[in-house]
Amino acid sequence: MIRTVHAELLKILRRRVLLVTAAAMALFSVGGAAVTLAAARPAADAVGGRGLTLESLGAAGGGTDVFRTAVSFTGFFVFVVFVGAVAAEFGRGTFRTMLLRQPGRLRLLGGKLAGLLAYAAGVLAVTEVATWVAARLLAPSRGVAVAAWTSLDGLGSAVADYGAVLVWVAGYAMLGTVVAVLVRSVPVALGVGIAWAGPFEHILADAWEPASRIFPGLLLEAFAAGGTPEVTASRALVTVAAYVAVAAVVAGTSFARRDLAG
Amino acid sequence: MDSTTNAVATSGLTKRYGSRRVVDGLDLVIPAGSVAGFIGPNGAGKTTTMAMLLGLVSPTSGTGTVLGRSLADPGAYLGQVGALVEAPALWPSLTGAENLRVLAALGGHDRRRVPEVLATVGLADRAHDRFREYSMGMRQRLGIAAALLGDPALLVLDEPTNGLDPAGMTEVRTLVTELAAGERTLLVSSHLLGELEQVCDWLVIVDDGRLRYQGPAREFLGQASTVVVGVPEHDADAAELVWLARAEGLAAERRGGELVVTPADGDHRAAAVALNRTAIDAGIVLAELSVRRPSLESHYLATLEASR
Repeated sequence: MIRTVHAELLKILRRRVLLVTAAAMALFSVGGAAVTLAAARPAADAVGGRGLTLESLGAAGGGTDVFRTAVSFTGFFVFVVFVGAVAAEFGRGTFRTMLLRQPGRLRLLGGKLAGLLAYAAGVLAVTEVATWVAARLLAPSRGVAVAAWTSLDGLGSAVADYGAVLVWVAGYAMLGTVVAVLVRSVPVALGVGIAWAGPFEHILADAWEPASRIFPGLLLEAFAAGGTPEVTASRALVTVAAYVAVAAVVAGTSFARRDLAG
Repeated sequence: MDSTTNAVATSGLTKRYGSRRVVDGLDLVIPAGSVAGFIGPNGAGKTTTMAMLLGLVSPTSGTGTVLGRSLADPGAYLGQVGALVEAPALWPSLTGAENLRVLAALGGHDRRRVPEVLATVGLADRAHDRFREYSMGMRQRLGIAAALLGDPALLVLDEPTNGLDPAGMTEVRTLVTELAAGERTLLVSSHLLGELEQVCDWLVIVDDGRLRYQGPAREFLGQASTVVVGVPEHDADAAELVWLARAEGLAAERRGGELVVTPADGDHRAAAVALNRTAIDAGIVLAELSVRRPSLESHYLATLEASR
């Protein structure tokens, strides 16, 4: 599997990809920090306990709360990236090429996912720092005190937020991979994924209250938000983990057994 | 089946999709060190057979060995097998060299092989161009370079000249001929039988998923007759010459403006002399007198026709 991870990273760690990623990270960090800070309201005006308040942003973890909140709006993007990265290998026939070098199908799929997640982990770490810096520069304009952000508690919050975001990304990555493995086509996989995680789950959640405690996309959103009034972050995490486990078995079995030719 | 002297040996290899048998009980033998031509019409089961040998498709039934290892465990032998199945499938935004480095990492091959195999296929000066900028011929050559990364004992090439223009075909044919000069075993499928005829010493013919012939190429071609062809200067003399040749005991027949003599004892030189003498004695001038050897294509088509 190490060989597969190495091969995947060789594909990604190229100057052009790194430049595009760096540009996207810079844009996201500044834009995400600006929008998140602009959206924060005084605690007295907060609706239903959702969203960041100017007071909570002044706490030790305020700086990385900005990062966590901004990232939570990119679930769709993360899903698309992983669906595209995996389904495109089927579309181009490159899984066939890779299987001739790595016949262990589960090792190949696992290694590819691990390589992508390793890159995502690096990108998230840099993005967290960049978002924190941007938020630190913009916070005074919203009257947010930032003195506590550089405390030891602030560092602890940064690590916790980073871990939570990484778990959240891994959840979307797994679900995206499963969809891609099952349908093997970029447009169809995106269509299915977007229709499900976008309109379907949200429309159903509006009509049926338990949906937010059941559907994976809503649970991942709840987890990224640190929990919601309907479901706690830990409950969301456990439920998503169960989904991911089942999805991994289904995707692994499908990938290991199906013919790959033509 | 002797797995020590055969690079590939299968027994009853079958692949069924629903009720359709794409490969039907194939008992395949490819001797080690041979250059084997794998031929058959479209849909005969060639690609599916190759895909089964490479672990990409699971056989419905049957057993076999590749390089002495069981077909059921492709991981045990794929490290010594290089393959180009269908069109080369690589990453379009990566350069030729980057593509090979990715595959070398994946297969655990020494990355120093990358410039070596690029030079082997004549792509050293285009190594840093993106794959999507390559011509069809260059893509095929890069696919072959990828197959050579592990210096394989068995090289499987499925239609390596497919979709190429004449120049591209020449490039790939030259390359395959060079690869065939080594000690490795080659299994090559192609519709271009004239090309296979030049490089193959072993033939496998399949049709409708079934084996129609396998054995030495020379033996297969030896089953077809070499004929002597005479062309009279004037078409009007052809009928008379046929009559006279038959009177001399030659197995002669007229095909258009040509007179075709099949030597009864295989002595085409004697048949040519006899036909020429018959023509001279009758005052008929031959504009052409030649010995026509059977081509792989003509005998292959005759074999398929006979098996249906």
